[in-house]
Amino acid sequence: MKFLTLILRSLFRSKRRTILTVLSLAVSVFLIALLQSLLGTMDSLTTSTASGMRFVVQDKASFTNVIPQSYANYLRQQPEIEQFTAFQWFGGEYKDPKNFFANFAVDPETYLQVYREEANLPSIPPSQVRDFIRDGNACCVGKTLADKYGWKLGDVVPLRSSIFNITLRLNIRIIFKGQRNSDEMFLAFNIKQLQEAVPWMKGRVGAFTVRAKNPSDIPRLCDRIDRHFANSAQETLSITENAFNLNMIKMLGDFSTMVHSISGAVLVAILIVTANTMAMAIRERTTQISTMRAIGFSSGQILSLLMAEGLLLSLMGSGLGIALAMCAASLAANVAGQLLPWMADFIITGETLLLCVLLTLGLGLLSTFIPAYRASRRPITEGLRAL
Amino acid sequence: MATGDISVRLRNLAKSYWRGTLEIPVLTGIDLDIPRGGYYALMGPSGSGKTTLLNLIAGIDRPSGGELEVCGHALNRLDDDELAIWRSRKVGFIFQNYNLVPVLNAYENVELPLLLADLGRAERRRRVLRALELVNLTDRMHNYPRQLSGGQEQRVAIARAIVHDPELIVADEPTGALDARNAEEALILLEHLNQELGKTIVLVTHDPKAAQHARFQIHLEKGVLDRTVEVHDRPELPRILPGPEGA
Ligand SMILES: Nc1ncnc2c1ncn2[C@@H]1O[C@H](COP(=O)(O)OP(=O)(O)OP(=O)(O)O)[C@@H](O)[C@H]1O
Ligand SMILES: [Mg+2]
Repeated sequence: MKFLTLILRSLFRSKRRTILTVLSLAVSVFLIALLQSLLGTMDSLTTSTASGMRFVVQDKASFTNVIPQSYANYLRQQPEIEQFTAFQWFGGEYKDPKNFFANFAVDPETYLQVYREEANLPSIPPSQVRDFIRDGNACCVGKTLADKYGWKLGDVVPLRSSIFNITLRLNIRIIFKGQRNSDEMFLAFNIKQLQEAVPWMKGRVGAFTVRAKNPSDIPRLCDRIDRHFANSAQETLSITENAFNLNMIKMLGDFSTMVHSISGAVLVAILIVTANTMAMAIRERTTQISTMRAIGFSSGQILSLLMAEGLLLSLMGSGLGIALAMCAASLAANVAGQLLPWMADFIITGETLLLCVLLTLGLGLLSTFIPAYRASRRPITEGLRAL
Repeated sequence: MATGDISVRLRNLAKSYWRGTLEIPVLTGIDLDIPRGGYYALMGPSGSGKTTLLNLIAGIDRPSGGELEVCGHALNRLDDDELAIWRSRKVGFIFQNYNLVPVLNAYENVELPLLLADLGRAERRRRVLRALELVNLTDRMHNYPRQLSGGQEQRVAIARAIVHDPELIVADEPTGALDARNAEEALILLEHLNQELGKTIVLVTHDPKAAQHARFQIHLEKGVLDRTVEVHDRPELPRILPGPEGA
């Protein structure tokens, strides 16, 4: 296109201003892309179908309290329950406190059933499953985690927990390949070991994860279970697993509203910055624009040239912003993914990218159109006089 | 005179500005014929309407009344886009402050009018080089306007005004910002364009010496054509261009 030189040169006529504008656009797009992706990643947690089948029975006062294992007897009587498993957060560290990842004590047999999608049960060789259930010191780990520390089947992993003040030596019996990276940053071992080693854990579990036969039964089940234990020594609180996962997130307040209002504010800021840059860039070229029109450029051609400039400006900003966001996302997935398992799934989706590109294009067009339109319609003689 | 021999034909042309309901007439009852290949200097005191008249002739302003036919087109009957196309083919502009595009180099500035025509890159290049040669600036074609002297800038502007081979060249105080030597050089260049390439030229100027280069001087007084004077003792034209004729 023969006008490209003119458009590019005009855009970089004031290099500093253009670069500053591109940078502020980039930062804004970066922020929006990351925030929206974070929201999307959390959303995908809550809409995961397997987790929709499950709920957690925990202590009413705090999810850090333990509850009697005997509560299982009541759960076993409920016809709507397909399977349930006991678990306890272990909080163990591997060699160094920095090596932190999610690890739980579980009831091995039922655990694999309740979390069969996450652990991808059908792909685990039956002999490994047998070993995991039979060996009291067995543990199963996700592939991502195993790769990270170079663990292989049969290796012994020492895990030190400061919560229980013990170190357990666990034999890796299963290395499973999950559906998502977040499902693989995970270690589970037999809860019996914990109950034997820690006196106050005897006959107690952290909570139960219950898998219902039908998700529509969950509200009724939760209600019935909590009512049943309402008069016992320890009351329970049954909540869906999503709600359980999101407990910590909800502590930050209504995250999604926050993300949307931040994004909105950022968009308005971008609009103002771009509109200002383009208005300035156009105003200082009044004479040049009138000269070009005298030479024979039509209003429409002038408008197109200016719009192309505005579009290019916002495209550069959004391109740079998206590139930064992608880098940050993969960094976040690697680093934060070890602390918060769900962060391992953190990616910027195509939808978010599309959203960002469309938003910046829209903003570019909108912010350029008004000054560009006015400049393109201004009487030529007036512009030539304005020196 | 037959219409084809007339470049500019103005009949009872008028232009007024309105300040609220108050009409401020700037030009009234202008009748003027400029033949093809004519070289007319438009003179008159400041505020007499020279620029206004030139802008009407060049099709960048609209009259309030009267008829104007320029280069064979009744400009009143063209809409804004048609008028833009007409200008891109028929008119070359030279301004007092050169008005080069600062982000384009001399070559690209001269090429600008050709971008509006349907020409290939090679053909554009051929024409740009010829125009630059005409103003003797081939060696400066990669320079940007800020790297050129005022005189050189105006020569680039002149090259830009002729590169698309227009019939009419309009120049509003083209020497107003130049020193005597550069002014003289630019005027001689215009004279060559008129004599050797047959361009019709309308030149607005304050300077009686500059007006001596034209063949006729039109005097405007308070928006009315006062008189037209033929120039007899024109200075002899030194050869600076590789013209079509011999010595
Ligand atoms: N947009 C406008 N609105 C109102 N009046 C205008 C406008 N443009 C020009 N005029 C008036 O028209 C008259 C003629 O202006 P013009 O620029 O044509 O004069 P000029 O002969 O070129 O003067 P100079 O030699 O100073 O350039 C002036 O009185 C000027 O004030
Ligand atoms: Mg004037």
